[in-house]
Amino acid sequence: MELLNRQNYRKLYVQLYDKIRKKIEDKEWTIGFQIPTEQELCKVFNVSRATVRSAVLELVRQGYLTRQQGRGTFVSKKAISDKLTMFVTFGELMLGAETDLLIDVLAQTIMMPLDGLDDKLNISGDKHIIYIKRLWKVNNKPILIQETYIPFHICPPLLEEDVKKSSLFELLEKKYEIQITGVKNYFDVTCLNADEGRILDLSENSPALVLTQHFFSGETQIMYMRSVKRPGEFELSIECERKTT
Amino acid sequence: MTESKVVKNLMIDVFEYPHIPFWFTIKQAIMVIKKSIIETEKCFHPLAILIFDEKYNLLGTVTMKDIMKGLEPRFMRKPTEVVQVPDEESSLYVIWDTLFTEESKLLAEKQIGDIMIPAKFFVEPDDPITKAAYIMISHDLGLLPVLADKKKFVGIVRMIEIFDELSNVILKE
Repeated sequence: MELLNRQNYRKLYVQLYDKIRKKIEDKEWTIGFQIPTEQELCKVFNVSRATVRSAVLELVRQGYLTRQQGRGTFVSKKAISDKLTMFVTFGELMLGAETDLLIDVLAQTIMMPLDGLDDKLNISGDKHIIYIKRLWKVNNKPILIQETYIPFHICPPLLEEDVKKSSLFELLEKKYEIQITGVKNYFDVTCLNADEGRILDLSENSPALVLTQHFFSGETQIMYMRSVKRPGEFELSIECERKTT
Repeated sequence: MTESKVVKNLMIDVFEYPHIPFWFTIKQAIMVIKKSIIETEKCFHPLAILIFDEKYNLLGTVTMKDIMKGLEPRFMRKPTEVVQVPDEESSLYVIWDTLFTEESKLLAEKQIGDIMIPAKFFVEPDDPITKAAYIMISHDLGLLPVLADKKKFVGIVRMIEIFDELSNVILKE
């Protein structure tokens, strides 16, 4: 029996997803291999059928597995070779070649999800969320306000982490082993409210770029981020890399 | 025995209560109460929300009573200043219709930090529960924050659990 870590903050099906994916990537399960049935996987990993189903569905969705009606589930011939896969800095917002970047933590506290945040994070309205507000400064000039919302149950220790020096991505992925498997980015233009204008040293209603990002681990949304950037001067980028076989 | 009971034995998790930062408006606090308490039909006592600063330090608490006072300042006046409630029903409507009007909607935009009850009093996890009871009764509080090393907010102790524990002493034969 291969046990999953029930103390881990990551959901069981995401852990199972990783285990099966590793078997495919390590070629323990080769292309065309018929994977064990749901019932067998339940026994092997000591998890419920719902957990197995969610993990397998995600692997099918990502192209690692294919299902054949009446026959079973097989390791896909494609095995994601042509899938766009993100780089190490998976969806992380970066600031061009600038090196003199300073980050001020304006807030790191807990709140309840209001103003549609419960829908954005796909949680119920009575769930606590960690709220982190940071200001990016280059040469002491404020350029970007980044607000991050994470359901508290996803990673409780994040509340006490030093988010001034550490990247949220690194903390989530490396320290807490919450793997980010998907990100949806939305760009828009906004007018600054009074508070944003004050922080960015611009007048209220000044135009600014707004990037909203939804981060997923498997099918679970783990983080919602809203970044407001002052126009001009500094370029922002999000790197992606097409994974080759 | 009650003598051996300390606050940490009765302490409840802070996440039993909704949290909001001080910059939320009264209106937002009302929405939190609706979503976290009324719609979920949670009925704990006292019904309150916890107010924090930007570094997750507890600043105070707000109950529904505090919100109603905040929205209608005339509720804040001492009894001697309040208009006498008339006997006749028709006059009653005149009084009540002047409360919770447009002015209250404007007041609802105030920060919750302006109307909260500051968390001036607290206990430590190893304090005896009688100390917590004394502070709560002396200052008319329904709950008390529990701070470890006078700094880290680790839990809440409420009158209902303290009452339950102390009443056992009385009822014990």
